[in-house]
Amino acid sequence: MRTLTTRLTPAVLVLLAVTLMVFHKMDALPVEQMRVALTDKMTPVMTAVSSPFVALTDSFDGIATLRQLRAENMQLREENAKLQKWYENALRYQAENQSFRELLNVKADPALTYVTTRVVSDPGGSFVKSVLLPVGTNDRVSKGNAVMSGQGLIGRVTEAGDRSARVLLVTDLNSHIPVTIQNTRTKAILAGKNTDLLKLERLPQDSGLTVGQRVVTSGDGGQLPPDVPIGVIVEVGADGVFVKPLSEIEKITYVQVINADVDRGLSTGEISTPVDKHSSKRK
Amino acid sequence: MSMAFGADDGWQGSTASMLGRWAMTAVFIVVLLVLSTFPFKIGHFGEIRPSFMLMAIYYWAIMRPSTLSPIATFIVGIAFDLMGGFPLGLNAMTLLIVQWGTRRQRKFVLGQGFIVLWMGLALVSLGAGLFQWAVYSSFHQNFQPGSLKPVLTSVVMTTVIFPLIVLPLSAFNKSLAERQ
Repeated sequence: MRTLTTRLTPAVLVLLAVTLMVFHKMDALPVEQMRVALTDKMTPVMTAVSSPFVALTDSFDGIATLRQLRAENMQLREENAKLQKWYENALRYQAENQSFRELLNVKADPALTYVTTRVVSDPGGSFVKSVLLPVGTNDRVSKGNAVMSGQGLIGRVTEAGDRSARVLLVTDLNSHIPVTIQNTRTKAILAGKNTDLLKLERLPQDSGLTVGQRVVTSGDGGQLPPDVPIGVIVEVGADGVFVKPLSEIEKITYVQVINADVDRGLSTGEISTPVDKHSSKRK
Repeated sequence: MSMAFGADDGWQGSTASMLGRWAMTAVFIVVLLVLSTFPFKIGHFGEIRPSFMLMAIYYWAIMRPSTLSPIATFIVGIAFDLMGGFPLGLNAMTLLIVQWGTRRQRKFVLGQGFIVLWMGLALVSLGAGLFQWAVYSSFHQNFQPGSLKPVLTSVVMTTVIFPLIVLPLSAFNKSLAERQ
């Protein structure tokens, strides 16, 4: 009898696991609350346990030869000179933009606030592209917030506990973000494919896209702020249009959570904001 | 021959030493879970991280089946699913099947050398990777052949790193045995 029970246990447990998965799929289980409860407890532990590893990886990054430093310095000087010019331009455009806004009586976008934090866990590995952050509703981080690293959008908050938040990265299979191509204003959906590149979907026919065009959030659906840069088109072919994210998503260590309530900004009069029908699909 | 890698069957002994072994195993598993979820940023290691949990389950199923009962494996798998944002039950199911399948082949592998143990892991890891990919893709009804690449890289990574991970695993086995 005992051996029979021992033999049956794994089979029963596998069945139980399958049942749990079916219930999860049917949304019959409060999986999100269970996750938030566990990650809220685990995040401080992970932060503590991971600190020696953090020191180790940081020191790896810190090792650089004098030669490399010189080369980098040269490169930075050149870049700085270029950026100085851009800075002057930006100031001019800002003033110009301001005066146009005043002329058109546009309600200004609310100033975005953000929290900067370190990524404590990157648990999904080969399947799920998500990261855990040690900030939560206590830090005014909430579900739907956009998350950026230095250069661009990397994902958005899908679960927020008191002290932890899970970010679904733009590369995940379930990530679908409403975007605009910056110079043509063509709208599309940017979908994650579990690879380094993202794919533009639901493009209008003959959209005339070319390699090098920048892709930014459109803000449609009201979940993400508009005009946050995400990536650059790197491939236009028979398989579709592919976008390379601006941030090196696999190497991010610090991120910023943009935690302002998104307001489309357009105000006065009869102007209604068009909402994209297939705005953002989220699991 | 069954002692080839310090293997032993079952555990007896007093309740106190049993609790001690239980606590040691729990700590070891927490370390494995942290290793499996820590954001390594050395090159692309974060993306192609090996499955530490799978290596441990496989190793224990052969060397010391008593280390982790199926129920404990199930609990570990569910914790991993919740932490990692997986469909609930995916890792629990995979780890249980790996454990069950490996235990059935235990006698065969034990009689052979390390190479067979290693090849066995390569097979198990490939099987588990493809299985998880298929279940995950059907769960989200989204099959992307391109997304197999990181899965296969992880399988290779798991196989390559296994000989290194065997050292702490076998040291852990010895210290468990000493407490018996």
